[in-house]
Amino acid sequence: MRRTGSARGVVLAVLALLATMPAWANDDIDFYQTADRTEVGSDDTFRLTVVVVDPPSDAQVKLPESEDFEVLSSSRGSQRSISLSGGGPAVIQDVTRYVLVMRATRAGRLKIPPAELTARGKTYRTQPVEIAVRTGRLGAPSGQSSRGSQLPDPFANTPSTRPDPLADELEEDEPTIPRGDSDLFLRASLDRDDVYVGEQVTLSLYIYSRVDLSSVDSVTMPKLEGFWTEEVESPTQLSGEQKIVDGVPYRAYLLRRRAIFPVRPGALSITPAEADITTGFLFAGHRVHRVSNALKVKVKALPPGAPAGMSNAHVGNWRLSMDVSQTRVELGQPVTVKVILEGVGNVKNVTPPKLTGPAALKIYDPTTTDKVAPQRNRVQGRRVVEYLVMPQRTGTFTLPALEFPYFDPRLESYEVARTDPVTITVEAGAGGVSALPASPSQVADAANEQKNVLTAGGLRPVRYQARFVAPSEPPWRRAFFVPAVLAPVGLLLGLALIGGVRGRLATRTEADRGRQQAKAARRRLAEAEKLQGGANVGAFYGEVEKALHGFLEARLGMPVGGLTREVLAERLTHAGADAERRSRVLFVLEACDIGRYGGGGNPAERQKVMDAAAAAMEGWA
Amino acid sequence: MSGYYTPEEAQDVFLKANEAYAREDYAAAQTGYEKLLSNGHGGADVLYNLGTTHLARGDLGRAVLFLEQAKKEGVRAPDLEANLSVARARQVDKVVGATAEEEFLPRVAAATDGAVVAWTFLGTWVAAFALLILWRALRPGRRTAVGVVAALLFAVAIPSGLLLATHAWVDETVHEAVVLAPTLVARELPQPGARSIFEVHAGLKVRLLEETGRFVRIRLPNGLEGWAEREGVAEI
Repeated sequence: MRRTGSARGVVLAVLALLATMPAWANDDIDFYQTADRTEVGSDDTFRLTVVVVDPPSDAQVKLPESEDFEVLSSSRGSQRSISLSGGGPAVIQDVTRYVLVMRATRAGRLKIPPAELTARGKTYRTQPVEIAVRTGRLGAPSGQSSRGSQLPDPFANTPSTRPDPLADELEEDEPTIPRGDSDLFLRASLDRDDVYVGEQVTLSLYIYSRVDLSSVDSVTMPKLEGFWTEEVESPTQLSGEQKIVDGVPYRAYLLRRRAIFPVRPGALSITPAEADITTGFLFAGHRVHRVSNALKVKVKALPPGAPAGMSNAHVGNWRLSMDVSQTRVELGQPVTVKVILEGVGNVKNVTPPKLTGPAALKIYDPTTTDKVAPQRNRVQGRRVVEYLVMPQRTGTFTLPALEFPYFDPRLESYEVARTDPVTITVEAGAGGVSALPASPSQVADAANEQKNVLTAGGLRPVRYQARFVAPSEPPWRRAFFVPAVLAPVGLLLGLALIGGVRGRLATRTEADRGRQQAKAARRRLAEAEKLQGGANVGAFYGEVEKALHGFLEARLGMPVGGLTREVLAERLTHAGADAERRSRVLFVLEACDIGRYGGGGNPAERQKVMDAAAAAMEGWA
Repeated sequence: MSGYYTPEEAQDVFLKANEAYAREDYAAAQTGYEKLLSNGHGGADVLYNLGTTHLARGDLGRAVLFLEQAKKEGVRAPDLEANLSVARARQVDKVVGATAEEEFLPRVAAATDGAVVAWTFLGTWVAAFALLILWRALRPGRRTAVGVVAALLFAVAIPSGLLLATHAWVDETVHEAVVLAPTLVARELPQPGARSIFEVHAGLKVRLLEETGRFVRIRLPNGLEGWAEREGVAEI
């Protein structure tokens, strides 16, 4: 991994170097080293800058090594400058700088050994640098920001008139690079460590890494005894941001952020967090276990002089309000009253004031709902306590004002959030309420002389008029319904069917009708045969004549009753009847006339007429 | 209607039950109302009074059951809504979580009156067909007005028929019930020893989904489902 140093530190070092040109500079190659501090703490880092001016092409630099110091970061930079003076030739200078971020491993007056430069067969050495190391942490060198993690700000001198919008943002303390695992370490931090009881402290757990991470498993958060906790941020994916720690660049990954609220005063400890971290990718990765630093919080007790009803959890900035669904109701109609406490602080641990009221207003046990919406890592939201209030009598009643005392840690003073009293007017229902006899237990409030007290604890009374009905079935389940729905459809289909039949009948051919008539005629002839041997000769001949007339009408397609014999013969000829058939027809008709009006004939004659009539009908399709 | 009581006798029983309620003899009041119901003299008023009596006695399950039955039978009345509110406020179970979205068809059925829809459909349907038959019988010159009226009747009959089908479907498939048992255990499977998923208490309104043996599958308003014993719930 490439390590880069702070450019600002390098510049400062070079300027210091140029101001006091060291006497140990070599004759032909400028080669020297300098530290940005001469006195450091054992936990502090400092920068050692090794400079080579105009190094030969084959120059090899060996940076100083010592067991008394660990190198946390190193970087190398080159610079070429051209200077023109007095019309002379241009002077070109190559400057190479090595910047080491170092930390002492022990206290004492320690010496950084010289750096070595090998070139042209010669070895050049810088002077050693002596550093006074004290135990602990001395802080940043003078002239340098105490927050060494800040990168140089090019607009640092620009006056700013805008207020910082993130002024309320948490400020986490500066981490230190642990010894032994400077490439990857776990760090827990607090935004503040001196708070009041019930005031929020934000605990953040970060991984600082200079190697690639692939996953973080089984994070064990600290045991937070003595704190009420609320999750503020819990990223599901690793997302790093660049951070400079003691001049060393890291990627910082947030693992968890929790709001913790101390519940008792004193010095409270937060145990270290732990995590298993997998570095690298695929088969090259390996798993390491890291333990974070432990923390301490100094918790101050709330100052004396707390108002009545004050609780340790009531710390923050709160507003109290009351929302009543309606202020004018009918007797027996419920009213919903919401007591709303909203603000910044431990929303889930505050207790809004209890709603009370006169005996005429029965107040049922409430339900509580919370809505927590942290903003800028500050826990805030609203807690709503909803009451059902059931008026027991008519009249005007007052729900008293509510008060919620709390401690504001910013103002460091006690405040009280208040609501106004609410007046509820209860009217008699429209005919629904009766003056029922009340038992003494129900008339608890003797001051109220209203008589219409409901029985059974606020219930609407029973009804005194009833309309008795049998259990009803829906109309569509009654027996008639489906037939009634289907009947019109069936009727329409029936009519359509009849119409179709009629139409079909209307389109039957004349030939069909003729065939039917001929068939009827033959049946009639068969009837006449039965009369042949009877005494009524006229009837026999009449039947034969009718049969033949019917047959002829069927074949000719016209009535033949009124036709003369000549005209009938013509029609028969026109209809295609041959001479023999014509003569038979005429014979039969003649014989029938004679038989009916002339007194009959013998049976042989009748048989002959029958045979002639049958022969006239046969074979005429 | 059953002929067990004459209207006068039924009114007498009703008034006596009311008097029993007024003197806080809720057991007698309950007996009176139940007699009326069992002998066919029911209706929204008797159901309301019986539900209110159960509520006064503290039997939350039956109180909600009869009040809901009264609500189902009659028009919405302020006293009924008020007593139902009281009953809900006294319930042990506060169902939390996202309310399951009620299906479209049950919502449509709840928003319309099934009887009105049924009669509207039947009337317009029969009249439309009668006019259609008349239209066929008339000569072409006289058909126009009859045809327009028949078309209008069909335009009413077809949507009301669809609405009626919705009511019939909901009536057949959607069954609401009230928990009667003081504590009713809902299990993962319809077996007595199956794992318990949740418990509900008297007065909670649930949906009955299916029935197997002596178990019914219930669904809470927030969509939670489980198998419970049939005796523990009563259909509205």
